[in-house]
Amino acid sequence: MDSIVILFISGLLGLFVGMQKKPLFSIFIASLGLIGAGVAAYFKGSYVSPFASYAQFIPTQGLVIILLCAVTLLAMLGGYKRYKSDDEHTGDYFALILFSVCGAIIMAQPNDLMLFFIGLEILSIPIYVLVGIEKGSSRSAEAAVKYFFTGSFASAILLFGIALLYGATGSFQIIEIQSNLAIGIWQSPMAIIGSLFLLAGFTFKIGAVPFHFWGPDVYDGASNSVLMYMSTVVKIAGIYAIINVFGQVFRDSYAFWIDLICIIIVLSMFYGYITAWKQTSFRRLIAYSSIANAGLMLFALADIHNSNIFLFVTAYAVATIALVVVNFAVNDDTDSLANWEGIAWRNPVIGVALVLALFSLAGIPPFAGFFGKFSLLWSAAPHVPYTAILALIASVIGAFVYLRLMISALKKPKVTMPIHLSFEQVLVLVLTSLTTIGALYFI
Amino acid sequence: MALILLPLVFSLVAWFIPSNITRIFGLIASAATLVLSSVAVCYFEPSEHLLIDFGLRFVRFSIDSLGFTMILLTNAVIFLVFLSNFKRSITNEKRFTALAFLMQFGLLGVFTTNTILGFYIFWELTLLPIFLILYWFGSFDKPRALLQFFLYTLLGSLAMLLSVIGLMHATNQQTYEALLAADLSSLGNTSIFLMGGFLLAFAVKIPLFPFHTWQAETYTKAPTAGTMLLSAIMLKMALFGLLKWVLPIFDGIATDFWRWPIITLGIIGVVYGAVVAIRQQDLKTLFAYASLSHLGLIAAALMLNNFDTNQIAVVQIVNHSIVSIGLFLAAGIIEQRLGTRELGQLGGIAKVAPRFAFWFAVLTFVSLSVPFTAGFIGEFFLIKALFSANALTGFLASTTLVLGAVYMLKAYQAPMFGPTINATFEDLHWSEIAVFAILSIAAIYLGLAPQCLTDFVAHSLTQPTH
Repeated sequence: MDSIVILFISGLLGLFVGMQKKPLFSIFIASLGLIGAGVAAYFKGSYVSPFASYAQFIPTQGLVIILLCAVTLLAMLGGYKRYKSDDEHTGDYFALILFSVCGAIIMAQPNDLMLFFIGLEILSIPIYVLVGIEKGSSRSAEAAVKYFFTGSFASAILLFGIALLYGATGSFQIIEIQSNLAIGIWQSPMAIIGSLFLLAGFTFKIGAVPFHFWGPDVYDGASNSVLMYMSTVVKIAGIYAIINVFGQVFRDSYAFWIDLICIIIVLSMFYGYITAWKQTSFRRLIAYSSIANAGLMLFALADIHNSNIFLFVTAYAVATIALVVVNFAVNDDTDSLANWEGIAWRNPVIGVALVLALFSLAGIPPFAGFFGKFSLLWSAAPHVPYTAILALIASVIGAFVYLRLMISALKKPKVTMPIHLSFEQVLVLVLTSLTTIGALYFI
Repeated sequence: MALILLPLVFSLVAWFIPSNITRIFGLIASAATLVLSSVAVCYFEPSEHLLIDFGLRFVRFSIDSLGFTMILLTNAVIFLVFLSNFKRSITNEKRFTALAFLMQFGLLGVFTTNTILGFYIFWELTLLPIFLILYWFGSFDKPRALLQFFLYTLLGSLAMLLSVIGLMHATNQQTYEALLAADLSSLGNTSIFLMGGFLLAFAVKIPLFPFHTWQAETYTKAPTAGTMLLSAIMLKMALFGLLKWVLPIFDGIATDFWRWPIITLGIIGVVYGAVVAIRQQDLKTLFAYASLSHLGLIAAALMLNNFDTNQIAVVQIVNHSIVSIGLFLAAGIIEQRLGTRELGQLGGIAKVAPRFAFWFAVLTFVSLSVPFTAGFIGEFFLIKALFSANALTGFLASTTLVLGAVYMLKAYQAPMFGPTINATFEDLHWSEIAVFAILSIAAIYLGLAPQCLTDFVAHSLTQPTH
């Protein structure tokens, strides 16, 4: 709870500081807020929180909050160059991002479905705005409208699902719903339809097949700086929410929904990777790659109690941020993959960060992505062996996608024009690379 | 500990040294690792294990006599790769030097790790440098051929990953000794699938017959140094994995189930590789198919899982490394001097380059397995083992001797003798002579005294229970 309060206050402060039109101040306040929130989450429990009476209301896990704050910080620093250019609104952007992280934290670990829904909306609404911040661009506006309409629709379905569950069990509290469902209510049509609606809403939020259609268009229309945020934080919050809700509420109907989840996993991975294959635009490629990765993340549901998704989402988030930062530095306007040719030679930091990020996404040891995938499959494989086999076949297609990107980036050009990276971009790339290698710690 | 970590240090250092001394650095550093490992072998008691623990959870190292053999082989191959390419521009590249040492690190990891997950991690780690070496220094016009190689290998590796996970779950163990002690018979058919995953990875790497399609194209398009690394040592990872990990662990119904399918594929590879090699006009492609043929024989014999055969297989593994370095070096020399590898455009080199003709002839005979070379011991005993298992298999396997003579003599005769097409041919550089000499001495020494190697590795090979 402390983290949320800190984030919210620093967001408000940021709004006022933003009026000074000094972007450096704004990012300073925002970073301080994120770091403060992370620190508060780390020391949670070792002191008496002034908001202790609320803390039982949201039993958020410290690690997830720290992860969300850290990823947001990386995304914010990576996109700082873009936010800075519009100094009229820099403070607003950062405030929107901070408010949205509040929602992500609430949503990630709720013990109450109503609260979960509020968190989801707090997360989503600032993003609708952020997607549309390129005011001059019609594509950005189109993306924002598309995202808003489809997003609201998904929220409505989710809410309907929650309402049906309430009708079936008479409670919003996760523990109560679970205990009511356990005595056999889960077989009632109302509860089953409710769970299906919840599943549909969740798949929409994390962007898995069959509710993925918004992804490529929205990612394509959003600016690189917003993309960094929305392709990572939303997914992390969403996957933690789905683990929480399905792992606890629907624990007893596991046999019923696990088959659906398996179908979603396989479809997402194959669809995402195969479609990513033919993309010519970077942001669309990232969108399809994120669809496939959303499928992979769902493996965490196969064995709720032992699965450890933390490493995987961290690896995915840092690698994606590194790629988008690189794309931001080399071709912000055209977004064409053709411009990626030979970029690894134009700046050593880009070269190293890129190779690490792509190998990590492709799941080649000894990088973070491999250990993430390994820990997911480790717990999931005994429960859903055939899905695991199919997922591995899809991973090969995925490796093809990433390696093709790497091949084009590593191609030695005839003349190398150095790319200049700003300080914070170098910082982000170095941090992401260190995280990608740092996973060695887990072996 | 330094034994394993030194190449990693060298690979990092290589990025930071001035480019004009890169080639000398590579040579000296690789010689240093070779000397270090030789000294370590001298002080090593063959019946013991050398445990190395960095305090990691999933990766631990334990070196036995088989591991030491492979370490020595790896370090020697890396040294020879640097030495043989001393006069080529590739060793002047920081990137190549760094990647070759990274490769060495990965290989040493594969050969020394004590945990099954560590085996997988290092196995995959070697993919990274070879991919970059092939990409940067190979002559792939389109990335398709390169990606084909990479994805083939990756598909196999991922099947192996699944098997690793399954094996760790099924036995609740991860170290080699514990897995060896674990009883897999209760798993029944599951153990067949688990072993299948490993075998798929190995079959792609070795390569066995239907999985070999990446080989010829990759070998021909790769730089000479890359081809040497691939065929002389990377492929040996699969044979090593079969010998040390899979066969002892899955001894029982799984091995019985897979024995004849794999032997059949291996024998098909022997005959098919040899027949295709005869028809080749490109020297490197010819050697690639010859390699397919030789390795098929080793894989088939290994599947018998017979104690004596396994010892001989190690000799043959070492011999194949010697032969493949020598032959690909010869092909590389011809290509470098004349710009072509087509047999039709070569002829009469022996007259202008007698020293090259001599050493190439020695290596050709080693490859032909004439008596008093390591190949003779290896092939003779492997074929004998296959004969005693099944006469038809033994007969088909022994065709390698005849067919091998056909394609090797053709590969030697056409460029070396006949009408002089190539009037100018710069004779060997001292570094190339040194490589050929080392290889020949090693092959002849092993041919005369194979027991020094077989007795050494015998300590770490497990006696099959049946």
